[in-house]
Amino acid sequence: MATAEIPYQETVPLHHPKTWIGKYVFSQDHKVIAVQYGITAMAVGLVALFLSDLMRIQIAFPGFMEWFVEDYYYQAITMHGMIMVIYLLTAFLLGAFGNFTVPLMCGARDMVFPFVNMLSYWVYLLSVIILLLAYIPGLGGPTGAGWTLYPPQTITEGTPGADWGITTMLASLAVFIVAFTMGGLNYITTILQARTRGMSLMRLPLTVWGIFVATFLGLLAFPALFVSAIMMILDLKIGTSFFMPAIVSLGQTLAYDGGQPLLFQHLFWFFGHPEVYIVALPAFGVVSDLISVHARKNIFGYRLMVWALVFIGVLSFIVWAHHMFVAGMHPYFGFFFATTTLIIAVPTAIKVYNWILTLWKANIKLTVPMLYALSFVLTFIMGGITGLFLGNVIIDIPLSDTYFVVAHFHMVMGVSPILAIFGGIYHWYPKLTGRMLNDFWGKMHFWITFLGTYIIYFPMHYLGFIGVPRRYYENFDSSFYPASAQMLNEVITWTALVVGAAQLIYVANLVHSYFYGKPAGDNPWGANSLEWCTPETPPGHGNWGDKLPTVHRWAYDYSVPGSEKDFIPQTVPQGQSS
Amino acid sequence: MAEVGQQHPIKVYFLVWLLLFVFSAASYLVDILEFEGLLRWLLIIIFMMLKAGFIVAVFMHMKWERPTLITAILVPPLVLLVLMYLLAYEADYAWASRIVYFGGEVEPIPDSPPSHASAAH
Amino acid sequence: MAEAAQTGQGPLTTIVEDWSSDVTTFKAVPWGKAMMWIFLLSDTFIFTSFLVSYMAVRMTQTDAWPVPSEVFALEAFGYPVPLLLIAIMTFILITSSGTMAMAVNMGYRKRKVAVFWLMFATALLGASFVGMQAFEWSKLIMDEGVKAWQNPMGAKQFGSFFFMITGFHGLHVSAGVVYLLIVAIRVLRGRYDNTSFEIVEITGLYWHFVDLVWVFIFAFFYLW
Repeated sequence: MATAEIPYQETVPLHHPKTWIGKYVFSQDHKVIAVQYGITAMAVGLVALFLSDLMRIQIAFPGFMEWFVEDYYYQAITMHGMIMVIYLLTAFLLGAFGNFTVPLMCGARDMVFPFVNMLSYWVYLLSVIILLLAYIPGLGGPTGAGWTLYPPQTITEGTPGADWGITTMLASLAVFIVAFTMGGLNYITTILQARTRGMSLMRLPLTVWGIFVATFLGLLAFPALFVSAIMMILDLKIGTSFFMPAIVSLGQTLAYDGGQPLLFQHLFWFFGHPEVYIVALPAFGVVSDLISVHARKNIFGYRLMVWALVFIGVLSFIVWAHHMFVAGMHPYFGFFFATTTLIIAVPTAIKVYNWILTLWKANIKLTVPMLYALSFVLTFIMGGITGLFLGNVIIDIPLSDTYFVVAHFHMVMGVSPILAIFGGIYHWYPKLTGRMLNDFWGKMHFWITFLGTYIIYFPMHYLGFIGVPRRYYENFDSSFYPASAQMLNEVITWTALVVGAAQLIYVANLVHSYFYGKPAGDNPWGANSLEWCTPETPPGHGNWGDKLPTVHRWAYDYSVPGSEKDFIPQTVPQGQSS
Repeated sequence: MAEVGQQHPIKVYFLVWLLLFVFSAASYLVDILEFEGLLRWLLIIIFMMLKAGFIVAVFMHMKWERPTLITAILVPPLVLLVLMYLLAYEADYAWASRIVYFGGEVEPIPDSPPSHASAAH
Repeated sequence: MAEAAQTGQGPLTTIVEDWSSDVTTFKAVPWGKAMMWIFLLSDTFIFTSFLVSYMAVRMTQTDAWPVPSEVFALEAFGYPVPLLLIAIMTFILITSSGTMAMAVNMGYRKRKVAVFWLMFATALLGASFVGMQAFEWSKLIMDEGVKAWQNPMGAKQFGSFFFMITGFHGLHVSAGVVYLLIVAIRVLRGRYDNTSFEIVEITGLYWHFVDLVWVFIFAFFYLW
């Protein structure tokens, strides 16, 4: 497939900053932007983690924190959900991993439009700041409507933050979408138009494929959220009635009339379901690469993996209303959306089987990234299987709004992507900094996090089955719960506190290893993909020194019979083995 | 990247320009002549699609692009048709429920549960 | 397409070969143009979401929906002419599309001055479009009493959607005018002399897209 096309990037000069600020603050280098995205996302993620611990204490020991009133609880729910889904997971997987891996793995010198890429980060930071402005004292705090922000209750009096809180939330989302669009256009264009010689799409590592499909989903799905945010702000601020029906609130008949609340749910989930895959697909990609590298074996069924990603991406646009089975939508929709939802299980199962078959008889190295990748597969299977329950209308209806749902989505799109993110960080940190993360503390962090999340979320399935409702501040007269339910709640809370605290180990590890970690060398894991072939570690500005690399093979030539080493990097010509 | 340009005879542009005027005038006429019902909607949609098609094909040079770009840009919006179709489908249902439960003049359905009947003021 | 015709390949073969080739997927498409196309794809989703919301709310509406051709009629020679202003606005936008297309054509012939004047004319037409829209808005607000939150003629969502959708489109036009002027001045100053004039084509794509959106708004909002 060798064509004589000259990569355009060989002819364009790279922007070279001269000042320290130009290099590290307002940097146009994709690696610096990745770190900026990563640190911001982790910082705001720690806030959300803290909020979740507060909620857990309230659930298990009601009355223990007297200052933590109902409003705070609902605000904590909302902010925890929104921060985790949008500002941590989406921003980290696409902003940090996307920025770091896409140019390196495609063999590009940088993103195609580095300036726009830089703007993307600063606009993202702005959106985070707007989000946190909700906590300015005296203005009623953030919105407490739940992360789905369903009208009419979101903007009627009585919901915490019904004025200032929801305004900052919607404004922040709109700004985030602008930031994401600027970044996302860059990722897509880089992957499609700025690969190096010999790098065809079917030679790209699956990480890039995951990010590619997820970014594409983001560019097509975020518009629906953008539109609904605009319409809700108009409803709130100037009194239009897009989503607001005629309604009596606190004894007052409001001026709204004739709006369609269901429309918001449709628009929100038309964004919201692809959003699940925006978070999941990059995680799939990262995990595929981790498993292949650390099991020293080529990924099983590469092409099928790619097509499964694409197929999941397409299907994710026609399943949205399975989040709305109890919303009072058209009764016929249940059948349609249950069917399409269950069809998604097919490509997803293909991916899971392929991971397992990659591991089959492989030379598995239980490094920290590998432990995370394996735990991802386990957790994802768990969360995916409960998804089959919830995808069926008949089973979903009794399980709606119970802890079963909480357990499901935390397993499948909360914990799983986080585990993939940790795996990716432990995997790429040596390339990013030139030093290894501490192995012992890495393993401690892993076991506490992995076992801890199981102790937290596994019992929630049981709680859901016996009917404990989600989002309740306090279960007052709940004599129909067995005593075990309360006990489980306490166990969950204690574990959540331990797991939350354990993340400090990881932060300390990141900081400590940056200064005192073992030097990593160019390729500590013996990996094949292009980012491990840079002339310098950490890669310099422009990534590749004088000459772009040339790619001769796919990224998964591990343990090829007859070759002296057990890996053959992508830059090695066919027929040679090193 | 030697030949990236889209170089075409000016005549084509003038022709399309003219056609756009004609189609706009035609869809305007649909309104003035007060066509009603299916015919009206059909004509509006046909002229709309013709205009959109010519703008995309000629002014935006889609006609001369490689099929790779054409399909990459024109296929993804098809998922919007699903959204549109389903929301239109549901809208009839929502409208009917509003008439049944909130509309004053319409008789409540005989077998609807009493709680609903009281909701219909 | 032209190349495919020469080599006798079917379009499907071309698609498969492009997607499986190295370096670039969209052959002979500069980065900026690829990025603009993908942005427009994303923007399509925004406008379609607006229009689909409009459809959903209008179809579920139990109050009467005003007849647009009567609301937007304008007095001319003593008779009310339905949609007169809208028709003028439509023709202006089409005209501006034509001048933009000519600017792109001249760009590839490297005729800088012609490009500048054509882009300037496009921007001027765009600005006059926004001006007429402002006139239409003020007429609707002052004379008819239609506000975003109320409508004496029936369903209040009529005003809400009208102001929101045309407003959002108007913002696109205004941004386009600024964009056009910046590029036009840069062209005249010779910034792109040593490179190709693809920037004019990219600007053109955006401008034609704005026109394209108007085609749909015109059909669905004013004629339906």
